Amino acid sequence: MIQMGTRLNVADNTGAKEVECIKVLGGSKKMSADIGDKIVVSIKKAAVSDKVKEGEVFHAVIVRTRKERRRKDAVVIRFFDNAAVLLDKQGELVGTRIFGIIPRELRERNYLKIISLAPEVT
Amino acid sequence: MRLVKCYFCSSTIYPGHGIQFVRNDNKVFKFCRAKCHKAFKKHRNPRKVRWTKAFRKSAGKELAIDSTFEFERNRNIPVKYNRELWNKSLEAIKRVQEIKMKRQHQYVKNRLKANTAALKEADYEEVKQNIHILEEPKVKKEAKIKRATQVIQEIDMDTD
Repeated sequence: MIQMGTRLNVADNTGAKEVECIKVLGGSKKMSADIGDKIVVSIKKAAVSDKVKEGEVFHAVIVRTRKERRRKDAVVIRFFDNAAVLLDKQGELVGTRIFGIIPRELRERNYLKIISLAPEVT
Repeated sequence: MRLVKCYFCSSTIYPGHGIQFVRNDNKVFKFCRAKCHKAFKKHRNPRKVRWTKAFRKSAGKELAIDSTFEFERNRNIPVKYNRELWNKSLEAIKRVQEIKMKRQHQYVKNRLKANTAALKEADYEEVKQNIHILEEPKVKKEAKIKRATQVIQEIDMDTD
């Protein structure tokens, strides 16, 4: 349940610490995004790095949400935080590492690079 | 069908029930219902909440250490399907369950037995202290006698 204005943590090593969702992609009527959905983000807080600066705009894919979500096997799962991974315009990863636990819903959405870099998949 | 235990109350979670919470350090907490999930969100300690299994075990209210608990355990050894073994283990499960229940009942019985003498003592003490409630008050008793004598006198007068 990520919508315009939601602040998210960043689960990669780009140097961005906090981003704000400024648009949910995927249809003119799509108001909120869930795990695996693409959004446009603005960097609000960043560590010193050559990849990102505060105020820059990136695409991102959501990897964790606090809002619980039901899986096909009837398991309802909820995460600790809202987190996203930054992507460039072509859909490639900006960072080279992924932090934190990653849900396997991303595999179904074909984000195999994120899955393979993730320290743990649940 | 995989059955798991609730993190908070240790009851069995059947498929389709409850919720899972994943912390960022990869620890997964499974809850059987909203009651347990809510308690977790309030940072309640299951050992201190009286209705949980963890409390009952740590407070000595239920059987906590027993060889029958050793049977229900995850074993990371793959076992090849064998019909005979399957039948045998089914029988064993039933038997273990039976023994477990028996021991648990006995444990509770023994626990309560230790208290019966003390309870009896307390009852005696209470009766001793409040014996005046059981006895008729003096004033009431005298009034009753007075009334009775009056009636007898009236009857005597009538007969005269």
